[in-house]
Order: sequence, then C-alpha cells, then structure tokens
Amino acid sequence: MSKRLLRRLLSLLVSILLVHAAAFMMVRATRGGPFDEERALAPQVQLALEQRFGFDDSLLVQYFHAVSGLFRGDFGPSLRYRDTQVSALLADALPISLALGGGALLLALLLGIPSGLLAASRRHRNAGALAITTSTFLLAIPNFVLAGLLVALFSFQLGWLPPAGFGSVRHLLLPWLCLALPLAAQISLLVHARTTETLNSASVRSAIAQGLSPQLLLRRYILRPSLTPVLAFLGPATAALLTGSLVIEQVFALPGLGTFFVQAALARDYTLALGVTVVYTALLGSCTLCADLLMARMDPRMEALS
Amino acid sequence: MTRRWLNRAAWAFLLTLGCAALAAPWLPLEDYRSMHVELRLEAPHWTASPVLGTDAQGRDMLARLLWGARISLFVGLCGTLVAMFVGVPYGAFAGFRGGRWERTMMRLADALESIPMVVFVLFLMSILQEYRSELAAIGCGRLQLFLVAVGLLFWLPTARVARAEALRIRQLPYVLAARASGMRGWPLLRTHILPNMMPAMLVMLLLTLPRVILMEAFLSFLGLGVEPPAVSWGGLASDGLAAMNPLVGSAWLMGLPSGALALTLLALQRIGRSARP
Repeated sequence: MSKRLLRRLLSLLVSILLVHAAAFMMVRATRGGPFDEERALAPQVQLALEQRFGFDDSLLVQYFHAVSGLFRGDFGPSLRYRDTQVSALLADALPISLALGGGALLLALLLGIPSGLLAASRRHRNAGALAITTSTFLLAIPNFVLAGLLVALFSFQLGWLPPAGFGSVRHLLLPWLCLALPLAAQISLLVHARTTETLNSASVRSAIAQGLSPQLLLRRYILRPSLTPVLAFLGPATAALLTGSLVIEQVFALPGLGTFFVQAALARDYTLALGVTVVYTALLGSCTLCADLLMARMDPRMEALS
Repeated sequence: MTRRWLNRAAWAFLLTLGCAALAAPWLPLEDYRSMHVELRLEAPHWTASPVLGTDAQGRDMLARLLWGARISLFVGLCGTLVAMFVGVPYGAFAGFRGGRWERTMMRLADALESIPMVVFVLFLMSILQEYRSELAAIGCGRLQLFLVAVGLLFWLPTARVARAEALRIRQLPYVLAARASGMRGWPLLRTHILPNMMPAMLVMLLLTLPRVILMEAFLSFLGLGVEPPAVSWGGLASDGLAAMNPLVGSAWLMGLPSGALALTLLALQRIGRSARP
C-alpha cells in the first residue's frame, strides 16, 4: 500500500513537472510578449525589462531558475500586475477557488446521491422519473446559461441573493448551485444506473427474501456497491469543477483562480497563467489520487487490479 | 411507445435544423450582421417581422440563430471527427497490439487524464494568438485552432472505448480463424477489426458531439471561440447574458440560443442513447 502510494505521489510530481516544462517552453518559444504594445519600446527600456524578468539568460538557466522557484512556490513576478508576485496572487485566489469548488462538490454529492437512489427505488417512481428528467435537462445547458437563469430568478425577481461579487457566504450560494447542479445531475444518473443493477443482483434478492428491513438493506447491501462509481467519478468531477469555475467565477465576478487564469490568458500574462496551470494540475492530480485511494478502501478488488 | 415517438421527434428536429442551417444563405433572411439602430432590443413579434426579435445592436435574431447553428453544428461535427481520428487509431492499435505496447499507451492516457486539459488547451490557444498572422497565412484561423484543441481534449474517452472494443473483437472466433490462417498486422486490423468497431464508434461519435458543442459554447463565452462577426450559439448566449440586467427585460436574447442549444443536445442524447446496444 505505502509503496503504491509513494509511486503515485512520484508520478504526480512528474506530471506537474512535465506540465510546467511544457508550459514554460511554450511561453519562452513565443516571439511576442506582454511588452509588445502598439508603440515600440526604446531599446534601453526593452533591455531593462528583459533583465528585470530574467529573459536575457540562456533558456536552460531560465528553466533551472523556474524549476527551483517551483519547488519554493515562487513563480516570479506577474507580467501585468505591477510589483506583484504570482505566488501572492495565487495565495489570494486559491482559498476562494477552494471554497467554491469544495462547497460545490459537497452540494453535488448531497443532491446527487439521494436523488439517484430515489430514482432507482421502485416505490417512488414518479419522483424518480422527475429526477432523471431534470438531470438530463441540466446536462444539456451550458453552465453560464444556468447561472443566468438562477441570477434572473433569485437576484432580479426575488431579490434574495446578490447577483455577483464576493464578501460573504451569501455571495457564494448561487455560484455553488451553478457548479453543483450539472455535477449532481451526472452523479444522480450514475447512482441510478448502478443502484438499479444492484437491486436486481442475487445478493440483494436473497437479502430481501430473508426479510431484512429496508434500512438495513440500504445500509448493508445497496449503498456500498452503488457508491463506488461515484468515487470513480470524483476525478473527472474535479476536472469538471475546474472547467466550470473558469466560467462561473467570471459570471459572478469572484476573484478566484479561474478569473485570474482567463484574464492572464487574454492579457498575455504568461507567468501568471503558468502558475495557475501548475496549481490546477496539482489540485486535479491530488484529487484523483485521493479518489483512487478511497476507492481501493471501498472496493478491495480495485487494489488487486492495480 | 413514447420512447419511439421521442426518437422520431429528435430525428425530425435535428434534420429540420440541419437543413435550415445548410440553407441559411439562400433563405429569405435579414443579414445577420447588419445593424439597425432604430430596431434595437425588439422583443420577438412571433408572427410579424422581426419574428424572433433583435439584439442590442438591432440585428435580426432569427438570422443570427440560423447562422449560429451553422457554426455550432459544423464545429461540433468537425471537432468530433477530429477527436475520432486521433482516438480510434490510438485505442484500436493499443487494444489490437496488446502486451507492453498497450500498457504503455494506456498509462500515457491515464497520465494525460490527470492533467487539466481544458486549462492547458486554453493556455495553448492564448499563446497561439501570438502567431495569428502566420497561422492565417497557412489558412488556419480560430476555427481550425479550435478543432485541434477539441481533438486534444476529447480523444481520450474515444481511445478508451476503441481499445475495449478492439480487445473484445480480437478474441472473437472469426479473428482467431483469420489469425490461424496466417493473417497478421495491418491487413487483419483493416479487414476484420476496424470495420467491426464501427457501430461502437458511431455511438461514441453521437455521445461526443454534444460535449463538443458545449465546449464551443464554453470557449465562445470566454472570448476564445469564433470571432465576430461570425456567430455561434455559445457566443449568442453569452451576449444574451451580458445584455441581461434588471432594468431592461431581454430574456429572449439568452433564452433563444440556449433553448436551441439545449434542444439540440437533448435530441442528440436521445438518439445516442437509443443507438447504444
């Protein structure tokens, strides 16, 4: 177990380094840069700028500096935000994004698992059909449209929640909902499919025949096999959250990683974009790792496979 | 019974939409780019012109929707094909070859899965902006870049399914028989394995298509999709979102394109699910 964990951690490190190297090379290979304005800079100014950001060293030296900075959590100065280190921006933005993503994931699980179970139960057929239909619809609209609908309803019509901005938990409610609903839909469909399968399995049938109470049946025989696909989905779910947060943070004007990344990509602030990319890679990699470990705990067959 | 009816409705909707989108240049529509200052933010009249209203610049929404359908559907179809072109050979080769090749190739796929590809692709696209003029010189605009990006994003699931299919087919009796009679390598792959993978790949195509269309909407929203004056549903919906405020009700600006998008995706999902064996 510990050896496997070590190997996984190592491969996570390698993939972070590879992403960093690829992004770094792409940035350095581009001819244009953030200092290209409409008006050409004076050569002295250009030189001073390049010296300040270390662009005049050889590529290998630059890469070496970048990697040693990476291990210290230092991505150098931002190219657009004057006198600001990328790591400072990241440190400000990361908690917001984590709160957004973590809350949304929790909400998605809380909404998705019960509705999936409900959909599979034979007693509540109508509620189940409703859950499935809603899920299908939720998967067919882009999340910014969902955001628009929710803002129109809760902020403009009812006036309950602020339409954008950041400051209190109330500001996070709508973004949470926008990120969580599509995920919840997917989780619900997964749980529904697997639970239907479990309910038809021989073990559950014999448990029913033995006269087990529904609660016991659910807890002992149904939940565990029905929830393994949800665990397997946690990795892709994190990826979906990252993607979704790019849009949702824009819509709700939250100063999180996604907003910074999009702005950096559009404004050619490559050091910042590179930093966010690395942080995202680390986040996604560690979430996938956790999900795999959890899955091995829940379903010992998985461990035997790998 | 309802299911069959729903499938027919889905096909009918997609076919109508596809024909209308194809025929858009010859339909008696307003120009989707021409602005009419005196007709700004006109709500849909439904029976009189402008049938579906106008946007914040007074451009006809019906024309914009149909021209947007052209781009959205075209991009969706081409992007999916690109993803298939990368994913199917990769997966088929891994599954067919087996052994160490398969393990290495699939481990690479796993490693790629743990990288936030969307972020990486956005990064790539923003960097390629620097080379816009060179790329334009070889006939490569935003649209073509987008197709490459989609190929990068969506080939992984296709490759996985292709590998599983190839593995399954590899041990079917007719393949074993061909192998026993001395057929190996590329001829075997071409005559027996690839053709029999087609049904599963067709389903995969139908399942990837909605995701590509959504991805285009996503990129257009972020401002990295198709460039104005070209329109796509994603871009229209994001314009609608931008025009939304509590003072001027302009719900149709967002509602129409996202409704069209949702209906198309639902229809595609419906067909994809009914085609699944």
